[in-house]
Amino acid sequence: MSDLDKAIAQLRACRPIPEAQVRELCHKARELLIEEGNVVTVKAPVTICGDIHGQFHDLMELFRVGGDVPDTNYLFMGDFVDRGFYSLESFLLLLCLKVRYPDRMTLIRGNHESRQITTVYGFYDECLRKYGSANVWRYCCEVFDYLALGAIVLGATTQLEPSRQPVTAPSRSSTQEYLDPDVEIEVLDSGGSIIQRFPRANKRAARANSPSKDSSSPSSKTGPPGTSASGWTRGTTGSTSGAVLCVHGGLSPLIDTVDKIRLLDRKQEVPHEGAMCDLLWSDPDEIDGWGLSPRGAGFLFGADIVKQFNHKNDLSMIARAHQLVMEGFKEMFDSSIVTVWSAPNYCYRCGNVAAILELAEDGMGESAHSRSNGEVNRSNGGFKKENDRTLLAGPARRYRVFQAAPQDSRGMPAKKPSSFYFL
Amino acid sequence: MAQAVPDPPPSNKKRVKVYELRNSDWFDRGTGFCTAEFTYDEVSRSDIPRVSVQSEEHPERILLETRISKEDLFQKQQDTLIVWTEPTTNVDMALSFQEAEGCAAVWKFVSLIQQRFVTVNGGSDDALDDDMPLDHVYVHQVQLPAPSLGNLGEILDSVKHCNNTNSGRDGLAKFVHTEDYIKQLLPLVEMAEDMEDLGSLHKLCLIMKIFLLLNDNSIMEMVVRDDMILGSVGALEYDPDFPSHKANHRQWLSKEGRFKEVVRIEDDEIRRKIHTVYRLQYLKDVVLARILDDPTFSCLNGIIYFQQIEIVQHIQQNPAFLKELFGIFGPEETNQERRKEAVLFIQQCCAIAKSLQPPGRNALYNNFLAQGLLSVITFALRHSDVAVRVGATDILVSMIDHDPSLIRQTIFRQINEKQTPLTDSLIDLLLVEADLGVKAQIADAIKVLLDPGQQNSALDQSKVSGEFGSRNRGIDAKQDGFVRDFYDDSAKKLFKPLVDLKDREDMTFSVHQVSLFIYLIEILCFFVRQHTHHSKYFVLSEKLSHRIAQLLASPEKYLKLTALKFFRNLIGLQDEFYNQQMTQGKLFEPILNLLTETSNRDNLLNSACLEFFEFISGHNIKNVMIHLVENYREKMKEITYVDIFQNFITKYDDSAGFDASMEASFLETEGSETPKRSETGSRRWDNGIKDLDATEEEYFNTSDDEEDSITKSTRSSVNGASPLTKPLVDYPSDEETENIEIDAKTEAKDAKGAKSNGVGPQDLGIDHDLPAIGGPGAPERLSEKRRREEDEEDEIGKLSQSKRRNSSSSVGSNTSNTSNPLRRKGNFSKHGGVAGSKPNKIAITLSTAIKTGGDNGSEDRGS
Repeated sequence: MSDLDKAIAQLRACRPIPEAQVRELCHKARELLIEEGNVVTVKAPVTICGDIHGQFHDLMELFRVGGDVPDTNYLFMGDFVDRGFYSLESFLLLLCLKVRYPDRMTLIRGNHESRQITTVYGFYDECLRKYGSANVWRYCCEVFDYLALGAIVLGATTQLEPSRQPVTAPSRSSTQEYLDPDVEIEVLDSGGSIIQRFPRANKRAARANSPSKDSSSPSSKTGPPGTSASGWTRGTTGSTSGAVLCVHGGLSPLIDTVDKIRLLDRKQEVPHEGAMCDLLWSDPDEIDGWGLSPRGAGFLFGADIVKQFNHKNDLSMIARAHQLVMEGFKEMFDSSIVTVWSAPNYCYRCGNVAAILELAEDGMGESAHSRSNGEVNRSNGGFKKENDRTLLAGPARRYRVFQAAPQDSRGMPAKKPSSFYFL
Repeated sequence: MAQAVPDPPPSNKKRVKVYELRNSDWFDRGTGFCTAEFTYDEVSRSDIPRVSVQSEEHPERILLETRISKEDLFQKQQDTLIVWTEPTTNVDMALSFQEAEGCAAVWKFVSLIQQRFVTVNGGSDDALDDDMPLDHVYVHQVQLPAPSLGNLGEILDSVKHCNNTNSGRDGLAKFVHTEDYIKQLLPLVEMAEDMEDLGSLHKLCLIMKIFLLLNDNSIMEMVVRDDMILGSVGALEYDPDFPSHKANHRQWLSKEGRFKEVVRIEDDEIRRKIHTVYRLQYLKDVVLARILDDPTFSCLNGIIYFQQIEIVQHIQQNPAFLKELFGIFGPEETNQERRKEAVLFIQQCCAIAKSLQPPGRNALYNNFLAQGLLSVITFALRHSDVAVRVGATDILVSMIDHDPSLIRQTIFRQINEKQTPLTDSLIDLLLVEADLGVKAQIADAIKVLLDPGQQNSALDQSKVSGEFGSRNRGIDAKQDGFVRDFYDDSAKKLFKPLVDLKDREDMTFSVHQVSLFIYLIEILCFFVRQHTHHSKYFVLSEKLSHRIAQLLASPEKYLKLTALKFFRNLIGLQDEFYNQQMTQGKLFEPILNLLTETSNRDNLLNSACLEFFEFISGHNIKNVMIHLVENYREKMKEITYVDIFQNFITKYDDSAGFDASMEASFLETEGSETPKRSETGSRRWDNGIKDLDATEEEYFNTSDDEEDSITKSTRSSVNGASPLTKPLVDYPSDEETENIEIDAKTEAKDAKGAKSNGVGPQDLGIDHDLPAIGGPGAPERLSEKRRREEDEEDEIGKLSQSKRRNSSSSVGSNTSNTSNPLRRKGNFSKHGGVAGSKPNKIAITLSTAIKTGGDNGSEDRGS
């Protein structure tokens, strides 16, 4: 068992690793991350996750529901730290997994991966408490500066296949029911049973008893999780799956193409304004164009902005995190953007469920644009030249919704008191 | 994190059907269980009497929730029927009970409340805010039996029951306190342990947990008393949540020698407080960490805070104590261990002081400094034990965070007395220190101590007293002299490792060398921004740019990045002096090479290089562009995946080496420049540069490229239609008001959105759903901090309150950190109209923003 594997085992038990080991880990991670572009290219299949916020036990639950690393590829969209009690363990575990399985883990930066934010929202204090000095916090912040700003998922299928990883629950049979090739969205609970299915729009019209109809009736407002998250009133048409852009916050008025993101020097503290700030701070909203963000950083952006951006960049969808959604995920603007939130019962009291988004691999392996890292002709790699405004078909999306880890699995707190005191 | 309070079984509640009158027909809204009780209301921060019905089918759904707000609102019509008109909606409602008994119970509560409205001033809603009379009537008279192993189950049930309502909790707290009930319980722990009665131990643990989470100061203080603490934590060792696990709290807390007295504290009361604080912290961090809810958290913090104030006050007002403490560092003391502990003691004092109010902190630090703290720090910085060095830097940094001028004044005194100034000690240590944490803090400290702009801003922010101001002006001049002297001597020592790179071919270094270079470059970046001309000639004469350019060839990528960042900093200053240094030294060549090397990769280095040249292009830094095209045309031709370099070449060719256009623009802008330049000049004066020498003066008068490029880019942003007649800085003022309006509107809209669908995009409403924070008596600062942590949405504005400095590695962010987001929005919305359709305009907007950032580099260190 290598040192790294030992560290992973120790962190999985929610026990922090020694400072020297953290330093080494951060050093290795830095070597790795410095080679990543500002926008990392990721091939489906991949499971996209939103904010974690130091809720270590819920992260464990996430791995249980979504499948363990390295069996499942993960993409975490930032905000690993702050607010929860185990920011340190959560972030270090993710970092260890990144170093151990670099191709299977993608970590991008959230607005909380910043020196200033972490001193206010808890991570700094946690490091100080757990190590007695701020060194570990410094090492981690150094790594934050190297994290990618976004990711592009390529090669996601438009057709859902049966859930491949049998989740621990015995009720698998439900996922193996009839398979409808036109299912666009499937919502599963943590046991792997189907809560809901939504066919693509063109087929949906033919069905009188479309499930999305049900979900919009007022009586089910407090119904099962995920139901009122349905923003997909119209769905998408067409058959070509475009790429999915993943960022923590959203778009920026200074960024009109994905390639512009590549022109940023990301190795810095998250600035208070500018493109890099916006990518990590902005939020979609029901407005036209751009608006001021009540957060004081980033912007609000409307459906028109998203659709224009997606069209221009041949994206079918933007996946982002950054905002609490009670149902764990929320699609907006005709499914052109989705918010994924992976911290159940946020702050241990919000009562929300969490979700992760699975994008399966396109069986053909053909639709993937070869826009991998190192491609020189970036702007033109695989781009179609077309002028019509039809949006690309969204990938088939499987959301797994899960709740906070049960109380008794949380283990004893790992915090140690100082062994002597003067005052 | 709130502890899961088990719901009482539904049989306790009253099964009921809820009806609503619609079109003169009773519409069944569902079946559920009815409760009538006080519930705590976040908005009014008081208990509100409510009737609510929880759905039977979906227990998470609430079918009905209505407030009892009038004397005649509810009427009982039959044995099983209560009807009323909902005051807010004017809808007639009815509750039909399954059993008359249940109806009677609910009615009893309702009628009791309604009677209150009759008797207390005529039934206005305000009566509820004054809950004294209500308390008087409704506080539970809680009575628990004398505890024994036999009746623990019964006690637990009663305690749990009381815990379900606020009045029950109040009553319980009162009872526990007045009857000294915990003391009666504690003997049972040992008894149950002797009998290996795990069931009883678990019950004792649960009872204790509920008592502690009653959020009652007096109970909290009671359990940490000398005679109670071990028994109390003993009970908490047997947590039924972890049946196979036993904690060892008693072993930990009873161990001798945890408390170290470097200097004997004579006051028994203070010593008791010290123990209390330690135990409370142990409760907070270890025993209760997993189950702590917010009120209990702030309750604990509140008690700890007040005890710490008293402890620190006692220490600093005790001259004998201080004398003995600092005497430890005198020549008479031979015990090295004691010196070490004294440093750690002071470190702990300073750590506590961080949470004090500024005046108290100030007094403590001043007292310490008067006793010779600085020599203690100097001693500790050279200590062989890394823990002591960490302690010394911690003390230093906590004081610098509080007020750097405190330390500076002492340094000036050191210089006057011909002692080695602290800064030199710090430099010595930085060069040899192995511990990365200490190194980082020292690097930070050096920057702050040598920051000429620092006390200006400190003055503006906190101490606006006239007396202080005049005193500070004197210090300002001193500080300037200090900085000047620094470049004569200390700076050479500090940057010697960089200077020594001359003639070195091999760029492989040890880990420590690499980290030292990184800190040095970061410090130099800071100096270049802050010390303008002092550093200018230093960088030039020591050829530091050339040395750092050598590091671009290092195999360590992050060292390359840091070196590149240095040049990006220089370019960002848009100072023709540095631009010339770079062109004459052919320093763009290694950067261009780095770009070519990384061109087949999409990685961080490549992006950073592109950004570097993108900046030059965006800011139209002509001399640099000319230099690049004239020297590296072929190389640049090959870089086709971005259009930056093509643009350089095209621009160059179009304007035949810029000559014509330069002349033209120079003449054209001359007239409008005059007011701007004087403004630039005065800004530099503000930065504390008071002694411009002749060359410097001349330099400012001859070089217009900086202003020129501003004008150019600004003009192009308004499509070149009208020449700039107004100074740039004037504009945000009227836009700001405009934007405040927009802001307010947006916010209001968002709040509405959030309310209407419950999953609003902003979730702004959620704050109100959180439990109240900050128990009574919690100190303002703590509760304030806590509250900030509670906010669902992160707001960048909150950061301005944060006192901690930016740490080292953010070497000059590329954009400015202006603290006023509105101003930025102003700039944006000005051009926002075209933003959607013509994105190329945006780039120009950006460039002006960055321009401002470069100029006001000093602001980067703000907040």
